[in-house]
Amino acid sequence: MSGLSLEQVSRRSGDRVLLEGLDLAVAPGECLALLGPSGCGKTTTLRLVAGLDPCSSGRILLNGEDITHRPAGERQVAMVFQSYALFPHLDVGENLALGLRSRGVPRPERDRRIAAVLELLELTPLVRRRPAQLSGGQRQRVALARALLRQPRIVLLDEPMSNLDARLREDLRPELRRLLCGGEPPVLYVTHDQQEAMGMADRIAVLQAGRLEQVGGVRELYTDPRTRFVADFLGRPAINWLPAEGGRVLGVRPEHLRPQAEGGIAARPLRREWWGHQPLVWLETPHGTLRMLLPAGGELLDYLMVGWRAENELWFDADGRRIDGAGPWRQQGRARAV
Amino acid sequence: MRLLALLWSLGPLLWQLHTSLLPPEALVGQGPAGAAAWTLANYRLVLAGDPPLWRSLLNSALVGGGTTALTLLLALPCAYALQRRRGPLAWGVGAALLAAALFPTVLLFLGLLELARTFHLGNNLAALCLPYTALALPLAILLLRAAIADLPPELEDAARLEGMGLGMRVRAVLLPLLAPALASTAILTFLFSWNEYPIALTWISRVDRLTLPTAMARLAGSSVFTVPYGAFAAATVLGSLPLLLLVLVAQRWIVRGLTQGAVKG
Repeated sequence: MSGLSLEQVSRRSGDRVLLEGLDLAVAPGECLALLGPSGCGKTTTLRLVAGLDPCSSGRILLNGEDITHRPAGERQVAMVFQSYALFPHLDVGENLALGLRSRGVPRPERDRRIAAVLELLELTPLVRRRPAQLSGGQRQRVALARALLRQPRIVLLDEPMSNLDARLREDLRPELRRLLCGGEPPVLYVTHDQQEAMGMADRIAVLQAGRLEQVGGVRELYTDPRTRFVADFLGRPAINWLPAEGGRVLGVRPEHLRPQAEGGIAARPLRREWWGHQPLVWLETPHGTLRMLLPAGGELLDYLMVGWRAENELWFDADGRRIDGAGPWRQQGRARAV
Repeated sequence: MRLLALLWSLGPLLWQLHTSLLPPEALVGQGPAGAAAWTLANYRLVLAGDPPLWRSLLNSALVGGGTTALTLLLALPCAYALQRRRGPLAWGVGAALLAAALFPTVLLFLGLLELARTFHLGNNLAALCLPYTALALPLAILLLRAAIADLPPELEDAARLEGMGLGMRVRAVLLPLLAPALASTAILTFLFSWNEYPIALTWISRVDRLTLPTAMARLAGSSVFTVPYGAFAAATVLGSLPLLLLVLVAQRWIVRGLTQGAVKG
């Protein structure tokens, strides 16, 4: 089997479980985003694949070959760190040369490869600068250049853009994809930013508390979340939760709520904020505050009824697991007026 | 204000320099002290003495160099391990080190003397480096540990991914980045060894093996009838010059490098 696969990989440190029984497969050229809140195990996963930390149990395979116990330096891994980890005492050229020199690449080839990657990333004029003399975006490009130079078999990116401003991040996304994805090596991309995960990745793996919650395509995770955590973590503005009998909960996304003539829940608009070109309305209802994304130009009365289509309901049991065909939602007891 | 600070720190040194250049008559009050012509008589006196002062300068330099080298060699790996391998053991060793750094050295003399006698370490300059290193180590480790704590671990991760072994990581990444800390630790260690008096006094008795502080004490106590202010001042000046040189050389390392800009902005 080609590509990267993790089989039942766990990592414990002392009595702390950082990662528990992770199964993942990344095809060659595929970009898989590891998404989750901080401390969920995504960076741990990356460090295990890189060989920077040892697995407590489980296997890591690359193109069918077991690399679980191979030292980091022999895995041909390219990694871009969140902090870029450029060597501060060396200039850009020396930073790039260090790895090749330690691998014994002869001088002429070294110079040729460095020149090519400098050209590709438009770093040539900065070659004699130290990292401290570079802007954040330039440092990121140097880190990327270093990763590309390695002719990697796996590419690992640890929040590579979190130190850049939002606009630059957006511009860099296609650039990163062009440079790193679609080639031979599988790409693992760690982020806590769902927007970035959706923009960068072919598939997303959502992690929480050291466990894999769900892995799937970007749309799939959004429309068909298997756990309450995934439904809650993906999608902004965040999903609405309505309690139902038996400890179950119903999730309805803000864009699926709509005003309707009769039936549904009595609601009173509390405030509105602009969400791009659409108004997001906060509604006071007998079932708590709900968020409703109105179509552009929609107008609201002071008092209204809101509802949703049954096919847009997402049901979860008391343990947060998805249940299919549990609807439709019925109002419990008599609706109070608001 | 700055002038005042300069005067405050340089004043005594300059006065000492001035004293060392005065003829002995001017020092004991005959004739106006300020007007006397400068002379190198005091320097000739101490350098031609028995043993000559350059001999003890050399001894001190040897002991200082040996102590500094040995201290850095032991302190760096220890500090690195303590900082990077966190755990109860590292914590315990760290606490013990701090306690050792605070331990009054006076209480050690008898023990050290006994050790010197048992293992025949007296009058041996190389052996003198051992207690000096032992005493300098706690502070050196604490200083280097703080410097290592400031190094982002990602730098080493990156180096490991580049396929660099431990030796190369130390040479190409760790040492250059720690150069300022190493330089200042070296200066402090050398200074301690250069100034140390009681242990040298008890361990060394042969005059040609005396280190600078003990030689100077001998100079001062060489006559009951006169206090050789001039010779003493000359010895002080000669004893300070190597330190001055050392600091000037090390300054290059202290100012250079710095990890600024390694991580984030």
